[in-house]
Amino acid sequence: MSRKVPIALGGALALAALPFAISDFWIFIAIEVLAFALYAVSFNVLLGYGGMLSFGHAAFFGIGAYAAALLVKKAGMAPGLAFALFPLAAMAAAALVAAIIGFFSVRRSGIYFGMLTFAFQMLLYTIALKATGLTGGDDGITGLKPPGAFARPAVYYYFALAITVPALYVLYRLVSSPFGTILRALRSNPRRVQTIGVNVRSHQLAAFVISGAFAGLAGALFAMSSGNVFPGWLNWTASATPIVMAVLGGVSTFLGPALGAAVYVVLEVMISGRTEYWPLAMGVIILALVLLMPAGLTGLARARRT
Amino acid sequence: MMSAAGIPILQVTALAKRFGGLQALDGVELAVAPGEFRAIIGPNGAGKSTFFNTITGLLRPDSGRVIFEGRDVAGTAPHLLVRQGMGRTFQITSMFPDLSVRENLQVALLAHARRNWSIWPYARQMHTERAHELLHLVGLPGDAGLPAGTLAHGDQKRLELAIALAGEPRLLLLDEPTAGMAAQERIESISLVHRLATQLGVSCVFTEHDMAVVFAVATNITVLHQGRVLAEGSPAQVRANPLVQQVYLGESITSEGVCR
Repeated sequence: MSRKVPIALGGALALAALPFAISDFWIFIAIEVLAFALYAVSFNVLLGYGGMLSFGHAAFFGIGAYAAALLVKKAGMAPGLAFALFPLAAMAAAALVAAIIGFFSVRRSGIYFGMLTFAFQMLLYTIALKATGLTGGDDGITGLKPPGAFARPAVYYYFALAITVPALYVLYRLVSSPFGTILRALRSNPRRVQTIGVNVRSHQLAAFVISGAFAGLAGALFAMSSGNVFPGWLNWTASATPIVMAVLGGVSTFLGPALGAAVYVVLEVMISGRTEYWPLAMGVIILALVLLMPAGLTGLARARRT
Repeated sequence: MMSAAGIPILQVTALAKRFGGLQALDGVELAVAPGEFRAIIGPNGAGKSTFFNTITGLLRPDSGRVIFEGRDVAGTAPHLLVRQGMGRTFQITSMFPDLSVRENLQVALLAHARRNWSIWPYARQMHTERAHELLHLVGLPGDAGLPAGTLAHGDQKRLELAIALAGEPRLLLLDEPTAGMAAQERIESISLVHRLATQLGVSCVFTEHDMAVVFAVATNITVLHQGRVLAEGSPAQVRANPLVQQVYLGESITSEGVCR
């Protein structure tokens, strides 16, 4: 317990000082890390705590991104107002979609749950691709830009930090709460949870909606930084990203997936800058990961301590 | 068979359930008085599991009534039955192996206190005292911080009993409570259940294969055969029933030592 406070303070200081130490390019990468850290942690609330492997989580990341993009580009609002509202709009849109997908998906478990989330995601991908009038089809929505000073990478970084850190804290409280404790029991033994008087489907659905809402927030944060959103963000290959990040960092710790996201994003930048065979390198990394350290990076650190 | 005066805590009338061509339950009748320790026995395929799963809400009966404390609860969702005071344990030991022993009980106590939707306070310190009381009650005074999956099988059964008792049930349904145990362990285990149920005023209905266990604790016995009640009564009555001996108990009574 006592070790946590200095680590948290040190981490906060490092995150606050970061923009002074690195170039604009790397600030841009740091924003991506923040967004994907939130994405991976929100995904892991389902996988690591609830034992629910969603194969379609990119749907929520993508819906959040599209919701933010449409609000900024097509709602006809003042840019400042649209910018102030986009995080909430993204969460609301992703939560709504998650409520619909979750309503059907939590009726099945294991691989069938995963397949249902996968199917719904492909449906949304097709809509994003074909509803050209709304989504721009294959070309996506481009030219997103935060208003005024927020367009500067360092300022947007602090903005993203001011959203990501509280969001992570909310998720931390959630998994540490009675709700989260029962969620962990669900991972272990859903039938038994039912016979202590819990409506299992409602509990799983609530976790699914919360997880989806925060994934949507992550997608919107990233879209406003990268300046665009494409249908590919909703494609099934994009749903592998949070899985790899969570497993890379370790699914049994709260911040493990965030660490996994940081490592993944930075490795991707460094390797893809040198070779076009980035997916090949990723494949090798995943192989090494699963074979050599199934508990992820945080699991490795824990094993060394004990 | 209604023994003592008063309203039965559980009354089942004309319960029927069909799976395709198999009439698994064919008009089962049962009345359990408060404070009873009722055994349901019968050969494999007699309908015990179906009967259990129908009473506890996992299966919806085709017809018939399940009246718990005066209310018809047939077809009620399992989690709602638990909240109304009907607990159950499973044939295969059912707890949360990767949670600590303490957390296993905290989860049950949180659910019982309807804290399922509490998403902000830390759960770690909640209900720890009551959790330890329950652990002592079932005889598990060891390290409550250990993962429950590391407990010996008998201790896991004790933990499962504690989880069921955390919900303060007035009726406890135990499906094969001694399955997978050695002979001596079985009597100890069922005696613990019997002692706690008596102490806490919990009525029990249990299914069991081992006749030694049944005759050690049951106040009354119901014999199921081909989806119907074949016989019912005190242990002595059931033991003496020629019909029961003929279809089911004959060889097991002698082999399990009841006629010693």
